[in-house]
Formats: sequence, C-alpha cells, structure tokens
Amino acid sequence: MKEEIRRVQDVMEREAYITDRQVATSVFLASALGKPLLVEGHPGVGKTEIAKVLAQVLGTELIRLQCYEGLDASTALYEWNYPRQLLHIKLGETAPGSLAEKEATLFSDAFLLKRPLLAAITHHGTPPVLLIDEVDRSDEEFEAFLLEILSDFQVTIPEMGTIRAETRPVVVLTSNRTRELSEALRRRCLYLWIDYPSFEKELRIVRTKVPGLSEQLAREITGVLQSLRRMRLSKHPGVAESLDWAAALVALHADHLDETVVRETMGCFLKDDGDFRLLEHELDAGRLAALASFAG
Amino acid sequence: MTERVAPPPPADLLATVVTLCRLLRERGVAATPAESIDAARSLAVVDLFDREDVRLALRSVLVSRRDDFDAFDAAFAEVWSVAWGIPSPIPLPGPRREMIKPPTPAPPRQPAVSLQNWMKPSEAEGSDPITVRAASDNESLGARDFAQYAAEDDAAFAALARRIARRLTLRRSRRWKAARRGRRLDLRRTVRSSLRTGGDAIRLERRSRKIRRTTLVALCDLSGSMELYARFLLQFLHALQNTFARVETFAFATRLSRLTPLLRGVHYRECLRDLGREVQDFSGGTRIGASLRTFLDRHPKLVDRRTIVLVMSDGWDVGDPAVLAESLRVLHRRAGRVIWLNPLMGAADYRPDTRGMQAALPYIDVLAPGHNMDALQKLVRHLAV
Repeated sequence: MKEEIRRVQDVMEREAYITDRQVATSVFLASALGKPLLVEGHPGVGKTEIAKVLAQVLGTELIRLQCYEGLDASTALYEWNYPRQLLHIKLGETAPGSLAEKEATLFSDAFLLKRPLLAAITHHGTPPVLLIDEVDRSDEEFEAFLLEILSDFQVTIPEMGTIRAETRPVVVLTSNRTRELSEALRRRCLYLWIDYPSFEKELRIVRTKVPGLSEQLAREITGVLQSLRRMRLSKHPGVAESLDWAAALVALHADHLDETVVRETMGCFLKDDGDFRLLEHELDAGRLAALASFAG
Repeated sequence: MTERVAPPPPADLLATVVTLCRLLRERGVAATPAESIDAARSLAVVDLFDREDVRLALRSVLVSRRDDFDAFDAAFAEVWSVAWGIPSPIPLPGPRREMIKPPTPAPPRQPAVSLQNWMKPSEAEGSDPITVRAASDNESLGARDFAQYAAEDDAAFAALARRIARRLTLRRSRRWKAARRGRRLDLRRTVRSSLRTGGDAIRLERRSRKIRRTTLVALCDLSGSMELYARFLLQFLHALQNTFARVETFAFATRLSRLTPLLRGVHYRECLRDLGREVQDFSGGTRIGASLRTFLDRHPKLVDRRTIVLVMSDGWDVGDPAVLAESLRVLHRRAGRVIWLNPLMGAADYRPDTRGMQAALPYIDVLAPGHNMDALQKLVRHLAV
C-alpha cells in the first residue's frame, strides 16, 4: 500500500473514524488529484462523517451546505443583507454623492451575506473542506449550477464582478440515492461507495465510539445489527443506529443483551412499525441468542 | 495479503489504462476520455506494485455508480493480469467487438391486424360481442366492449384528459420567480428598485412559486395481443394530446413509430384513418425491449427527471428479457417516474409472471391496470414527479 494512503487511514482512525482501504484510497486521491469526492451509501454508514474527519485531519475549516429541494443560489451562494442595505440607504439619504457611488457602497462586501459556496470560494489560508450534503435532495437546476461552480471555482456576482477561489476547497458530496444524479456531475467526481461495515469493522467502530461497553455486549450489539441487515426490513439500521443503541445500553448499565432490554430499546435502531413487529416475532420465537451470536 | 508484482513500463501502463477504458465502454460503463486521463494521473500517485492500490484507485476514478463495480472488477481482472504478465484465461477483446447481439430477423411482415380492424366502423359490428380479458371486472364501463368507445365517448376521454393536464400543469415547484401578483415579497428586487426613490420602497416587488413543468411520454404497445385495449388507450392518448401540449406518443410492436403528429387532429376517427395509413407493419409479436432501446437511442433528450413515462403493454414480449430489463433500467434512471399500464391486470387472478413482466418489475415505479375508464381515472394520482 502506498505510504500516503496508509497514513490517511491511520490519521482517520486517530480521529476515531474506523475506515478501510477503499475509503482511504479515495480520500487520498481526492486531495492528490484535486477532484471532488462523491460518496454514496445507505443512510447511517458515515458518509457525512468523512468530510468532518477530513477537515480535522487537514486541520482546516468545514463548510457545510445541506441540500433540499428548491435550494437556490441565494441560499447556497450569496444573498444581500437587505435590512442593512435599507438602513444604510435611509441613513445616507441626505449625504452627498451620486447614485452610482451610493450603489457601489450598497453592493459591497459589507452587505454581502456569504452562503456556504461563496464562503468556500473566498476562504483564505488552508483550503477548507466543502461538504455538499445529500445532493440528491436538491433539484436539477441546482445540480447544473453546482456543476458550474465545481468546474472552475469562480462565481460572478452581477453587482461586484467575478470572484475566483484563491485555493481550491476539498469538496465532498454525499448522496443517499433517493434520485439518480446526473451523469455530468458523476463524471466530475471521484466515486466512493460505502457499504455497511463487516462484523469486525463494525465491532471496532462500536468499541471506539462508545467507551464503557463490555466486550460481550459490543459483540452482541454488532451481531444483532448485522443479522438485522440480512433480514427483509423496510428500513435497515445503519452504523449510526448501532452507536445510538450502544450508548443507550451503556446508559442503562446493561452488560449483556436479554429479551427485556432489547424490547425496551429497539426504538434506537428500528424506525418502522412493521420492522418492530418483525423483531418482536423473532424475540417471541426465542431467537435473540441466534441473532446476537452472528459474527460475519 | 496483497500481491506485489513489478509493473509494466510507463508506455505499456498507459496502453493498459486505455484498454481498460475501452473494455469498460464496451460493457456499458461509460468511461470518458477525461476520466482516462484522471486514471493515468491517479496511477502516478499510488503504489504500482500493489494490485489492490491500483484497483481501488482506478475504480474510484473510472466508475461513478455502485451498480458498475462488478463490471469494473471483472474488466480490471482481465486487463491487469494481461498487462502485468500473468496469463489471462480470457482473451482481450478486439477493437470492434459487437456488444449488442444483432437482432434476430423480424417475423414476416403482416398487415396491421388491430389497426385494420379499427378502421371498420363500429356501428357495423355492433352485434358482434367481444369478450374482454378483464372479465372479472363487472363495472358498467369495465365490462363494456371497447369498440363501443366511439365518438359519443369523446367527452368522457376529454374530461379525463383535462383532469390529467390540470394535474400536470399545476404542480408548484419549490423555486421562486418574479411575479406581479405573487404572494410573497421579493426583497432583493424591492431593495434594488427602492434605490431609484432614495430608499423608499414605493413599489413592492413580489414573487411566487414557479410551476413545475412535467412532460408525459407514452409508449403504447400495438401488437396483436393488445388489440382490444390499444384502441381504447389510443383514444385516451388522442384526448390527452389535444389537451396537454407536452405529451409525446409512440407506438411499438416489433418496431417503434412516433404517433405524436398523427394524434394532433381534432377528430379521433380521422386520426385513426391516418394511423392506419402511416403505421403499416405492426405484426403479431411484440419486441418491447428492442423497441424501448430504439426509443432511447432515437430520442435521447426526450426523457428527463421531469418526465413521466407511461408504458402501455400486456408484457407479452417475444424478445430477450435481458434487453427489456436493460432498456427499462436506463429509462428508469433517466425518467422521473415509470408507470406501466397493463390491461391484463384488470383480471382478479392476474400475476405479472410472464418473462417480460418479471424482467421489467424492478424498474417500474407504478404497475397499474389500464383496461377501463375507472382504471385510467385511478391513474391520475400517480401522474406526478
């Protein structure tokens, strides 16, 4: 393995992000080639976490843009500070000066509200990590707009002119695949798919992230979650759910799993009524031990 | 854990990357020239002695969706073992290998059975009862012979078409546009225009939600097995075409033809006459997959995220189910929604277990019956993206 890739993996693990070779390789390539990284995977497998850890690893700022349908330039890029502009106009009503001069002050940096994309472009110093979260939730207009930004990292504000990035931010996009992203956007990015972790990897994650967990309990939690992902559930629990559950069990001072405690806490990892009944059925049939002893 | 083999010299390395990209393209994993360049760049920063490093790096660059991982891994295994001097069991492809099997010869040309039948005036065959497949559906309209849907029912179709058109045109987007009588203030423009009046906002600029533009693409099966329903469905499409501007209609059996201009006429009967003249070679069998592929090839820009694709077919496909699955997969990926209207679903005991329907199921958002007026009425609520 390339030394740098191993180092990326080590550093990420030091930041308590348990990772594998594919993740480390893609993250390393994203920074080495200066390309955006598109991360896809099931909900709760740690896609967003990658950007956060990356920012910590690089010792830089994380700028996050949460996407949603109807997200537009004024929320993603910039907006003028209207109340302040109005106040300024009022205060300067009697002041001398031409309209053009007044307008120039009105549309200057002081009145500009930088939204995440512009903030990332105008960032000084170490390039920031720009996280464009859940890009599949935005609509196609925004995707096209994003494509433009990602290709040359410059923005034209009609009132101010063109602003170019001094240093290119490291861009991470995440998608839950609720809709297919455009081919053009995919082509522009390196691609990383994060699957549910293996038993061993998940066990390490649970143990690292939730201290105070007994060895037996950690194995049982992981076993149950791994078994559940192999069942036909309407919503499979992610790693985020295993961590929630583990934290809940620690708070309840449980040191092993029994039927009662599972029934009491299954809301931590199952989020669907039908899935609830399915697990209850398994418990009624006395299959908890079988679920918990799963080890890959 | 990892294999360490000496890499080939740089020139060969580049050739290998190019071969890999070509192989991927042949297998339907689009690897653009820009990506080949990035692939070469990525090899400069990884450990070339480490097969796993190379594989993961190239996959990161060349593949852009999870579904293509297996295709990549297979192609990589072939190219890698050749390039790195390990004998490969699989020969490398020649420069021009046919990816798609040539279509099997079409069945002999037959006259357009169904269309010819429609040309007969329905009054003349009024005494001739036709058993419809949707035998279990005893609703007044459902049990009715579709041939009776003639001029007098135009109004019913027109009303339905209007409902659908309203639904498709009145969807509000989450985006804003400037509007004279919008419900919300547009502060940005208000501030701008208030400059002219010394900061007093004399005119309040407004904005409103944009209308979401939805288009409809209908692909109607006109093969022999669809005869009873096709007439009915075409009349529905005719009504729709005359109410709603953004509809495109295609017909297919063994081949594909565009009906949009033919359906634009005001009177359905006249349109039918034109259809009969224009659309000559519909024969017994259906090649749904091949027809859909033709559609995708010929009209690549027609379907996007704001398009609802309506496939009207009974799913009796004489073609290769794999072709059907593949074309539908692509269609499903591009379209906002894929709705399959299957007239046979009108029967209570219908199960979609023909090979064609089985291949199609994973790529359909809604599978609905389309055998009578009620079924079409119920369809309306699914028509949104």
